[in-house]
Amino acid sequence: MQVVNERELVERCRLGDERAFEELVDRFKDLVFGLIARTVQDRSRAEDLAQDVFLRIHRGLPYFRGEARLSTWIYRIVANVCAQDQAPREAMVSLDDDRMSGRSMPSVSDRRFSDLELRDRLEKAIVRLPANYRLLIAAHYLDGARYEELAEALQLPLGTVKTQLYRAKQQLRRMLETELK
Amino acid sequence: MLCTEVLDALEPIAAGELTPDDRIAAHLASCPHCAAALEDARRLEQILQARPMPRAPAQFTSRTMARVRRARWRTEQFLDLGFNVTLGLVLLAILGSVWLVLHRSGLVAVSNDAVALLGTGLVTLARRVAPTVPLYAGATALLVTALGIWWWAERELT
Repeated sequence: MQVVNERELVERCRLGDERAFEELVDRFKDLVFGLIARTVQDRSRAEDLAQDVFLRIHRGLPYFRGEARLSTWIYRIVANVCAQDQAPREAMVSLDDDRMSGRSMPSVSDRRFSDLELRDRLEKAIVRLPANYRLLIAAHYLDGARYEELAEALQLPLGTVKTQLYRAKQQLRRMLETELK
Repeated sequence: MLCTEVLDALEPIAAGELTPDDRIAAHLASCPHCAAALEDARRLEQILQARPMPRAPAQFTSRTMARVRRARWRTEQFLDLGFNVTLGLVLLAILGSVWLVLHRSGLVAVSNDAVALLGTGLVTLARRVAPTVPLYAGATALLVTALGIWWWAERELT
């Protein structure tokens, strides 16, 4: 039913129905914004990029043949927009320098981070991951995207997607080793 | 079994996508380092699953639609400009071709007399029409004003 509605919506958008496109934006805005906001820290930048994604969708809809699911196609656009935006921004955000460089060892009491602090550390650690790892983590845990869907969206073999996701988590675990205890 | 082999399998185990076989289970039971790493991986999995979902701002749809309309208007302007330029070039090409045909065929000499005759005719016509010029000028001004208002209104709407 959802797929049929989706096709109908896409068809109406292709015919230039502005209300249909507005409906499409409404339906996918949380997914698109959520994915981007989890890879870009600045919310206003995330909104700009999310709008860019919808502009690309609007331009690309006439060429969307419906072979893949609409959400898969949207993932692909989000991945491209994020990759283009973040390539020059890599390594701009750093964790607490002392903690990351290991210059000082935290005491036992320091290790008792609250969940909030841990989450904050996690967000900062995620920003340090390569852009493709960040997007994989965001898509997998935000929308519960299946590996197959991610593989199709990112045009990668299924095994590569799984390996990259495991490696991303492995890197996070190592970055947060102290805090996770 | 080596720790490195077990450590590589921790993420799928923590995500519940891999059941540890006997060898891994035995290693985890005997190696406190790997067992602690598995606990860390499980904790990380829980935190990742519990991450709050960022929601789009309230005015997101309307702001996006405004950007879409602006982009579409710009595209239409660009297409209009392209169409007008193409039309101008086609007209120029036609005029150039006509001139070339006249010049090459020797019709230019003949047409000089025709131009002189046409000039005399036009002067006569102008003398006759002159008294009604203010009327036509007024009508043209009205038409231009109406077209200007229409253009402005359409621009405001888009």
